This record gives sequence, C-alpha cells and structure tokens, in this order.
Amino acid sequence: MSLEVRGLHAGYGRLPVLHGIDLDAADGELVAVIGANGAGKTTLLRALSGLLTATAGTVRLGDADVTGLGPERLARAGLAHVPENRLVFPSLSVDDNLVLGGYTRRRGPAAERSRARDRALALFPRLEPRMRQAAGTLSGGEQQMLAIARGLMAQPRVLVLDEPSVGLAPRLVGEIFSALGRLRDGGLTLVVVEQNARAAFAVADRAYVMDRGRVVLEGEPATLMSDPRVTAGFLGGGFAAEVPAPGPAAPRPSAPGDGGRR
Amino acid sequence: MTDLLQLLFAGLSQGAVYALIAIGFVAIFTVSGVINLAQGEFAALAGLVAISAAGGGMLLPAAAVLAVSTVAIVAVVMERLVIFPVRGMTTLVSLILTLGVSTGLKALMLLIYGPDAKGLEPLFPGAFDLAGVSIRYQELLILAVAGVVALAVYWFYEKTLAGKSLRACAEQPVAARLVGISLSRASLLSFLIAGCVGAIGGVLASPIYFTGWESGLTLGLKGFVAATLGGLVSVRGAVLGGLLLGVLENLTAGYISTGLRDAVAFFLLIVVLVARPSGIFGRHAEARV
Amino acid sequence: MARRRLLLTGPSRRSRRGDVVGIALLAVLLVVFPLVATPSVINVGVYALIYGLAALGLSLLMGLAGQVSLGQAGFFAIGAYTQGVLVTRYDFGGLAASVIAVAVTMTAALLVGLPLLRLRGHYLALATLGFGVIVAVLASESDFLGATSGIYGIAKPEMNNRLYNSSTEYFLLLVPVVLIGLLLARNVVESRIGRALGAVNDSEVAAESLGVDTFRLRVQVFVLSAAYASVAGTAFAHWLGVVNPNASNFPLSVKFLLMAVLGGVGTVYGAVVGAFAVEGLDDGLRRLIPELVPGAVGEVQLIGFGILLTAIMIFLPGGLHQLWTTVRRRLAARAGPGDGPSGAEAKAPPDEGPLLAREGRPAPGTPLLEVRGLTKRFGGVTAVDGFDLTVDAGEIVALIGPNGAGKTTAFNMISGPVVPTAGTVTMAGTRVEGRKPHVFARAGATRTFQNLQIFTTATVLGNVMVGRHLRSTSGLLGAALVLPARREERAVEASARELLELLGLGADADRLAVDLPFGRQRLVEIARALALEPDLLLLDEPMAGLSGAERRDLARLLRRLRAGGMAIVLVEHDVEAVLALADRVAVLEDGVRIALGTPDEVRHDPAVVAAYLGVEPEDADAVAVADSGPAGLP
Repeated sequence: MSLEVRGLHAGYGRLPVLHGIDLDAADGELVAVIGANGAGKTTLLRALSGLLTATAGTVRLGDADVTGLGPERLARAGLAHVPENRLVFPSLSVDDNLVLGGYTRRRGPAAERSRARDRALALFPRLEPRMRQAAGTLSGGEQQMLAIARGLMAQPRVLVLDEPSVGLAPRLVGEIFSALGRLRDGGLTLVVVEQNARAAFAVADRAYVMDRGRVVLEGEPATLMSDPRVTAGFLGGGFAAEVPAPGPAAPRPSAPGDGGRR
Repeated sequence: MTDLLQLLFAGLSQGAVYALIAIGFVAIFTVSGVINLAQGEFAALAGLVAISAAGGGMLLPAAAVLAVSTVAIVAVVMERLVIFPVRGMTTLVSLILTLGVSTGLKALMLLIYGPDAKGLEPLFPGAFDLAGVSIRYQELLILAVAGVVALAVYWFYEKTLAGKSLRACAEQPVAARLVGISLSRASLLSFLIAGCVGAIGGVLASPIYFTGWESGLTLGLKGFVAATLGGLVSVRGAVLGGLLLGVLENLTAGYISTGLRDAVAFFLLIVVLVARPSGIFGRHAEARV
Repeated sequence: MARRRLLLTGPSRRSRRGDVVGIALLAVLLVVFPLVATPSVINVGVYALIYGLAALGLSLLMGLAGQVSLGQAGFFAIGAYTQGVLVTRYDFGGLAASVIAVAVTMTAALLVGLPLLRLRGHYLALATLGFGVIVAVLASESDFLGATSGIYGIAKPEMNNRLYNSSTEYFLLLVPVVLIGLLLARNVVESRIGRALGAVNDSEVAAESLGVDTFRLRVQVFVLSAAYASVAGTAFAHWLGVVNPNASNFPLSVKFLLMAVLGGVGTVYGAVVGAFAVEGLDDGLRRLIPELVPGAVGEVQLIGFGILLTAIMIFLPGGLHQLWTTVRRRLAARAGPGDGPSGAEAKAPPDEGPLLAREGRPAPGTPLLEVRGLTKRFGGVTAVDGFDLTVDAGEIVALIGPNGAGKTTAFNMISGPVVPTAGTVTMAGTRVEGRKPHVFARAGATRTFQNLQIFTTATVLGNVMVGRHLRSTSGLLGAALVLPARREERAVEASARELLELLGLGADADRLAVDLPFGRQRLVEIARALALEPDLLLLDEPMAGLSGAERRDLARLLRRLRAGGMAIVLVEHDVEAVLALADRVAVLEDGVRIALGTPDEVRHDPAVVAAYLGVEPEDADAVAVADSGPAGLP
C-alpha cells in the first residue's frame, strides 16, 4: 500500500514543528528520512500515525484519506508505528507483547495471527527462546526487534519506524536494517526515520533529508551520500543558514568522516 | 491465644473487604492515574441497594446481583460523564472531580435510604466454634468470595487479552495506542472493574459491619490505605495490604482500644509513605497491575 | 492543557491590580452587607466569613503549592478545640488563646505535612482526609475534650466593654480579620515565594534548577493554610459557643474545598466570594430539599455540593474568577481592539567584551565541577558507565555523542533530577549527586533544558525574576507583612530588567514568555539561568531549533560569558558549533566516555569517527586518516 503526504503541518501547542511536508512511499518501497536532532522527524511520524493531529495537509494510505484519524483507527487501516525508544510493555512477556501487537486483529482468524507471529519470529529468531521472559529484561537490541515484531503482528501494509538504531551497537544496527530490507522485499512499504544515515542509506530505495520542519533534499541514497549538504544537514550545520560553497577557502561545516562517508 | 486467633480471623475477613475496595483503586489508578474518591461510595451504595431489595422481598443472591449491576452502571456512567470529558487530567483535578461524585452519591443515598445504617440479612446466618474461636458463616463467605474475586481479577490481568491491554495502557500508554488499544475504552473498563469489585465488597460487608450513607468515607479511605500498602499499582499488593490492615485494626481494637480502630489506617498510611512510598509489598514503583 | 493551567497555577503576574480592586470592592460590600440584610441572612453571612477564612487557606495551598487538602476541617477543629479548652478551662483571654490555638494547629500541620509533601499530590489529599477523620475520632474518644458532646460554654468575645453577641456585631468584628487575612494572602501570592511556587507549578524541574526548594516552600504554604483554618476555628468556637467532633467532619472539608474551587483556586478574594455563595446555597438547599423530597433529613445539601463541585471542574475550572475575567475581557474587546505589543526585534548589541564578570568568582583554571565514576542503570540497560569529567572556571566544555549515547542522562545526574546508580559529583566543594537540583543551584550552578521549560504563566520579566530567587532572601513571613520585602522586590525587578537589556530582550520584558518565538524563548531561558549569577552554566542543546543567525549570536554570548569568568558545559548536536566554541570536548558513546580533549584532538580520534559513522573501529582509522587532509577541515 502506498503512503502519500501532502503539505503536512503539525506541532506541539503553540510551537509549530512541521512546515508543509511532502513525502511519498510507493507500494513496497523503503524510504528513509534523515536529519539532525530537532529537524522534526519524530513529529512527522507522530503526525503520520495519528498520535499528533496535523494542523494542515493530508495523509493518504492507498486510496483512503486517513488525515485526522487517531492511532487506533490508523492501526486498523494498516499503518503500524514502531516508536522511538521501542516502548515495549516491560512487565509483560515477549509473547504477550506480540499478542498485544495483534490487538487490532483480535477478531480475525487465529490461523492468520499465528502466521503473522511465525513470520515475525522468522525475521528475528533471537526472540524465540525468550518468549516467556518479561520484555523489560531484554537487551536494547532485542527490545528493538520485539518492538518491530510487535508492529508486524498487526499485519500492516505500511510500517513506519522511529530511529531503530538508537543506542545499538553497529553490528545490531546492521542486523535490524537487513531485516527491514527483507520486509521490503516481501512487499511491505516502510518509512524509516534515522540519524544514522549510513545504515539507513544502505537499504533505502529513496531518502528524504529534513531540516527544521521541512524536506530540504530528496533522492536516491547514492546521490545524496555524495552531496556535501547531507553531511552538514545532520551534523547540525544547518541548511537554512548557509550552504557552503565548495573549496578550501570557505570554512565548511565539517566533522570526522566528512566527504561522502556518510 | 484463643483471643488472638479470634482477632486474626475477624481481621482477615474484614481485611478481605478492604482488599476488594483496594483492587478498585488499583484498577483505575493504573490506567488513568485517577484516584477515585468515590470508590468507597461504590461499596456503600451496593450495600444499601442490596438491603433495600432484600427488604422488599427479593431473594438474597438476586439482591446481590442487582446491587452489583447497579453500581457497575453508576461507575460506567461516572466515567463517561465526569472523567472522560476532561482533557489534561491532573492529580488535583481528578481528586476534586471524584470527590464531587462521591459527595453527590453520599447525598443521594441519604435522600433515598435515609440517615440510619442498616445491615443485610446474612446468606447463611449463624456461627460455629472451631478451637474456641467463634466463626460466623458470613465471615467465611466473605473470605471465600473475596478470594474467588481476587483470583478472577488476577486471572483477568494475567491471562485475557482485555486484561493485558489494560496493563499495556498502564505501562506504555503511547505504545498501547499504537497497537490499536483505545485508552478511552480502557478507562471505561477500569471503572467497570472497580465498580464491580467495590460493590461485591460492599454487599459482603453489609451483614456484619452495617451500611449507611456515610459508610463509604471510611471504607474508601481504608481501601486506599490498603492499596497504598501494596504500592498502588499491584492487585496482589492491594490484597495483601487489605488483609494486613484488617488484622492490624482488629488487633488494635482488641488489645489497645476499640476507639483507636479507625486511627490505625491513618498511622499505617503515614508510616508506610515515609518509610517506603512504593509500598511494602511493591517491588518497585513503576506501573504494574 | 488550558484547563490544567487555569487550575494549577497561581494568578498570573498580570492580575496584580485586579486583586487590589477585588479586595477593595469586597471590603465595601462586607461593610454594607449587615446594614441592608435581614438578621437571618446576616447569620448566614457570619458563617460565610468564618468558613471563608478556612477556604482562603485552602485556596492558597491549591493555587501556590498545587496540592489539595481534604482535611481542612481537621485543622479548623484543632483551632476551635484549643480555643474552647483554653477559654473555658484555663480562663485565657480570647486573643491570647487564639494565638496559642493557631500555634498548636501550625505545629500539627507541620507534623502532617513534613512526611507527605515530598510525595505525589494524592497522598497528601488522602492522608489529610484520614487526618480529619482521626481528629474527629480522637475528639469523641477523649473525655478531656468532652467526648461526643464537646466543649460548651464558650462566651461571646468582649472587647472594650463591648459584647459582640448579635450576628451584626459579630459580622463587623470578623470583617477586619477577613480583610487582613486577604491582604496577607495577596502579599504572599505576589511575593518572591508566590512567584517561586507559581514557577514550580509551571515547571518544577526548572524552578528547582534555579534554586527553589520546592519541598520547603510547600511545607510553609501548607502550614500557613492550616493557620487560616485555625483562625476560622477560633472564630467559630466563640460564635457557636460549642465545639464538638462535628467541627472536623468530612462534609465541612468538602465545603471548604467547594468554596475555594467555586471562587477560583489561587485567587485571593475568590475564596471569600465562594464562601458567601456556598453558604447561601447551603441555607437554600436545606430549606428546599425537604420540600421536594418529603422526609429528607440530615446533610441533604451535599447533593448540591457534589453536583456543583463536579460541574465547576468540568465547565468552569477557574471558578467564578474565570467567569469574571471572561466577562471583563468580552466587554473590553467590544470597547475596541487594543494594540498587542509589537515584537520589537531589538538586537543584542554586537559587543564582544566580557559579560557578567563579578567579584568573588573562582579564578580561571580552578577546578569547579568534578564528576567521578558517574553511572546510571535503568533495569538491565547501562545508560552512563563510569563517566569522569573535571570542569575548570572560565572554560567551555562540550559533551557530544550520537543520539542515545547517554549525554542527557549524564547531564541530568550532574544537575540533580536523575539520581545516579554510582559515582560522585562535586560542585565547588559540595557533593551534589542524588540531591535535588536546588542544592546544585546553591552551589553556584544552574542549567537550561533541551525541550524548553519556560514558566508559561509568567512574563519574560517574571521568568527572569525567578532566576533571582537565590539572590533575594525575603521569606513567607516578611512577604506577608510587606514592608521589608517590597524594597527587595524592586531591586530584584531592576536587576532582572538590566539583564534583559543586556541580552537584547528588554523590549519583550512584559510579554508572556510563551508568546515569544522559539529562539527568543531559548534566550529567555538562558537569561533566567544567568540571573542566578552562576559560576557554572549547563546548557542542554542550546542550538537546537535556532536559526543560523541566532546560533552565531548565542555562540558570541557564550564566549563573552566565558571571558567574564563563567564555566560552561554544553550538550550539543551541532558538532560544527561545538568544535568552534569549546575549549575541550568530551565524547560519549553507549554511555562510555570514548574521548576527551581539545576540538582538534577529538576530531582526529578514530574512536570518535567510528562512533559518529557507525562503522567498526578498524575502518575508522582509515577514515580519520583520509579525512584529516586540509581540504576537509576548517
């Protein structure tokens, strides 16, 4: 199912954060959204999944206009949101976390639920031996896997993820992102918000760069990676401020690994 | 020794009533952070409804069912009319709101049932002696029913999808919404549970402790103390807290002074809050049920 | 959100004049009332004045401390009983007895409040509810206190050979007492203490970081509120002539609460207005309900109280005060649209000299902050692991690292809100780890917040004046009695305005801080922190959300503060800004400090490169080497 966002504005109280976001994810596409802290990435996801009500703009899921729906309705409509910091239910077992992930499908056929569960566990086999364990006792990486698996239990058509790499060792980040790649290959539409652009670009089909509530760049990861502005963007140099002219004369926002390594 | 056993037994059966009311506090608090000051009135109202229905010739079990369903409806209506419409609920606001409901219910009971406290006819009247301890059948009934209800509540939270969804709301409300659980329905459900268990406690207690329009005040206060002893977030803690409070009250009344019976709860509350705000049966203060 | 703010905050600093007008108007009404009302109505009025005092205390508690007592009648009863015992048994004069009665009640309140006010609000509410019940139980059990029949034979007061025995006389005797009570309450609300507690209600952690000892102030207000109840109790004892356990009954506590809520929590005169309304309602319902429901006896008026209490909270959480201000605003709006203050974009002077240098600051280079082995575990996850850092006076130290590296946790452990699992934090010789933020502030350090913690109900000036909390001294008593506090208030305001001018915020001083654009709000938060005149300033992502120009201005400001001798620690994502600004940089990854050094050293550190790129360290070596060529770096 495709996701189409047009002119989305949203914010907290009197503080506007998003200033007209346009974003598309085609059916079966993995789209990355990168940007510095405070760029509005999390706000975007919260507005997409209905945790936050947009002040203007539209969100379409497939053929349906889902603007303004609450998270419960959106979950039923096929959009699952894997939140920042995982937010697993700590005192419940891994198994129960998965069961609750399928809450919107609780009236559906049991066979379908158990298929979803098998698929999720096949994606993250590490969860299998921990099914009876309280989710709060898992390691950070396992919690992230559980959060994704929980999202998959709703049998979504579109999965949006908020910084799945936060606080994880590089090896685990690779593992998570390759799982996301496999989900895409299985036909799921994914939108991944990330600070770790390198990890996201490795699997993304397309990427957006956000800065201060706007999309400032869009394109293929390979193209974006060689764009000096990308590095500047999420190291916080700021796009709106000044885009540096290339050349050694102009002091240029820089950091370790500058020059396309991102 | 016989005295002690007698007091312990009376304490346990009284504590079982506190435990049921305490479960109601826990059920609501974990989901919405609301301390329901009308929780004691739920119990008192159930007692009075049962008494008046039985007085009108209804069979005792039928009267009990009528009482519990009445209170369940009151609790649900209260949630929709008073709790649900308020956005940005804070502790202070929730206390005042539920105090308003509690006061209104009290006055309503006074208007309908008059100022005098009454007792429900016991289902099994009489008592028997066991090792010198006189045990009323009603007390056994209280313990048995309270035990069954507590187990049922525990089973509900541990084993059913609805119960797990309430725990999910208590622990991670944002994630709960993201998996499609409606917080509004969870809050409604929590009031329904609180109404039912509180009402069962009220009906059970009525034959022994009498019920009047003002009974809800002390019942509610003691239920809260019991819940606090258990850390305010755990059903198990609430049950243990209720039993402990009942036993301590009866020991105080038996060995020190009857008049100080009602003071025990208060002193216990202060001592526990100073020494262990997370409750003496609570392992940690995070939201659990 | 609006609803929450209405209830939980004291009156905004803008309602100053409104209070004075309200109290003056009330004074006139109170003096006229007994001249025009019938004796039975005046009798209701006497109770309204008595109960109004108790309700006023409760209103202060709720408005300032953000807490509610459901046992105000308990303190009322202690006052009444003490007065009764002293007057009837020990032949005390009324005035002397009432002084003792108030002192006894305040002591009781202190004992109840000390253990409870550290905890979340519902514990105080339920414990005071229990307290009221216990007072009634103890009174009816005690033969000394006359058991259930209580203490009787308390004479009407007599002063200057005048016996205050009619309701008109007693009413007029009470009017000055109530007016004085109102004035004292107003002074407290308007004082340094009131300002600090208002700030606590907006953001507790921010207020504490500016040195406000929340717990201490809450205890003080709680005790003050009990004192009001106690004065009411003594007046009650003399008027009724009898005190029995009913004085502590729960419905009376509910009545006090209803009066405070109906009048508008935290508004000073509201409680008294609410008291008249509720007493009138009480009287009316007691007559009306038995006619509607034959055979109704007892406290049937409670039905009205319950409904009213609930309805106010849902529909009019600010009480009659809210109604009144809404009506006035409507009228004013019809009179003509007033010009909103224009957001004058006063630029900070492009000065480069040192800022806020002052006598007695530690000499540059002296160790100020020492962090040793700081560790935090949440469940099984170690967020910060054995973090060490020393900060000297007059240097800027930056703390950087990828998202989730533990920077903010480390920051919060240093400044107080988060209790470390292990390790020590020493600020200017004081151990502060695990202590509340105000201890850190007292040691000469304060902080700003990543997601702004502006005091939303205060003006820009009001925000900055809270920052002067530790640089002023007037306490609750001084504030209530006005005189010494007034001069200090003027000095505080003057220094706050001076600071605002310095930062280019002068033109916005009297606007509500939340009305400012984001970048200016951030500056207000920094100004507020600077008002403390700290030796160490902690900034949590000060650049986030700022425009390029604002970032440059902020960097210049920080350099000037450093030149003035201040030490600054900042957590920042804007690596460019950090490398250009800081003297030293500490890098965190997965809770571990992986590098510490000058910006140049850190920039070339392979571990840092790896952390930021998410590559394995062996690759990072190559990256660091490859990128250290002159072309890639400034």
